[in-house]
Amino acid sequence: MNLIRRLMSGVVLALAINIGSAYANTDNHDVYADDDSVLESYNRAMFSFNNYFNHYVFMPTAQAYRDITTPFVRKRVSNIFDNLQEPVSSGNYLLQAEPKGALISLSRFVINSTLGLLGMFDVAEGWGLSQKTIGFDDTFAKWCIPDGPYIVLPLLGPSTPRSAISMGLNFVFDPVYWGTVNDANIHDKATYSLAIAYGVVVMEQNMDLLKDLERSSVDYYAAMKATYMQNRKNKGCFKNDSSANDYDFDFGIEE
Amino acid sequence: MKKLIATALFILGVYAAPAMAEVNAAQAQKFVEDVTNDGIENIINANVSQQEKDKRFATLFNNALDMKFIGQFVLGRYWRTATPEQRDAFIKAYREMNIKTWSKRFDEFKGRNFKFIGTTPSNSANQIFVNSEVPMPEGQPAKVVWRVKKTGDTFKIVDIIIENVSLAITARNEYSAYIKKSPNGVDDLIKDLQQKVADKPAKAA
Repeated sequence: MNLIRRLMSGVVLALAINIGSAYANTDNHDVYADDDSVLESYNRAMFSFNNYFNHYVFMPTAQAYRDITTPFVRKRVSNIFDNLQEPVSSGNYLLQAEPKGALISLSRFVINSTLGLLGMFDVAEGWGLSQKTIGFDDTFAKWCIPDGPYIVLPLLGPSTPRSAISMGLNFVFDPVYWGTVNDANIHDKATYSLAIAYGVVVMEQNMDLLKDLERSSVDYYAAMKATYMQNRKNKGCFKNDSSANDYDFDFGIEE
Repeated sequence: MKKLIATALFILGVYAAPAMAEVNAAQAQKFVEDVTNDGIENIINANVSQQEKDKRFATLFNNALDMKFIGQFVLGRYWRTATPEQRDAFIKAYREMNIKTWSKRFDEFKGRNFKFIGTTPSNSANQIFVNSEVPMPEGQPAKVVWRVKKTGDTFKIVDIIIENVSLAITARNEYSAYIKKSPNGVDDLIKDLQQKVADKPAKAA
């Protein structure tokens, strides 16, 4: 009897899902359309502010950085920043109960900070110590903490609650942050200038893509949002390696 | 009880059957491999003028992708209410926009080769996903998935998914957001796309 009841509720559930998807079919895959109009108008306003700021301040700075450096120099600089993330990465491997990963990150940090001249050169990679650098967002995704809605942050741009919180945690566990925390004199200067420098480095790497996306879209905000949210979907416990579920939508076209 | 389960299984089986319509995995992968090889050998690595490259890219693009099919999905519910003229104009503008965007970006694949790593079945009839990887200058290779549809004996690409981002879903979201905000809906969208193709600055929506 109990089994039948369970089977029945299973059928009801399956029906509900089917009806749900049939309903969604009229409007399917407008999944990132904002249902909260207050949030959307805030997001659009902030997005367009950020866009002005990017075009008039951020991108010209990144362009100047590109003009005065060679790819070799830029690679050394981005390596320094990558190296600074290794302690956070190590801690997060621990949080994900992967001691081996934690050890590799820690070794990479020690080796590259010293022999690799503050991280400019990835010596550890040559020794076979190579792995993905992870942060709090990867850990939270692994713990099945949902992403939340799309939010555009001032200056920092596209984000979600999970991503924003992770970004903050990554930042305060950065060695430059905790390494200077006892010296109020240089703490603010060091952390802020580092954050700004990092922003310029990341912008230099991404600005061509951003300009391309803006040029080819009729609604830049919507295009960015859809791209960002899809890219974040397939992480940690939400990852689906065995099937194409995320993008295996029903084209829903009668032929 | 047994009967109930058997019936349920039977219904599930019947239900699932059409979704499992066979697309030959090896053939589908071969099709995508041929398309990418054609692009790399005859366009990226070819010693011809940019104009000739653009022309060849347009031909390859039109042969390999089913733009009418993609365009219908991208326009979503607005497709049903669009007039035949609007539909044709939209497909044409959308096609040209894509050719323009991608022929510019195509050169970025110079010196890189797609590594094909098998296929994944689709829930849609006669469709399959062909998985590939592209080495990146930094970090891990990018995952590129090709959604392929078989009609009769011909294969066509109906979506490209880069690092989990589906081009069709992105365009659909973008265009429906745009149409919702525009006073003249689909007509505005067509006009804006045409302006983008012609390189004129689009009016603010």
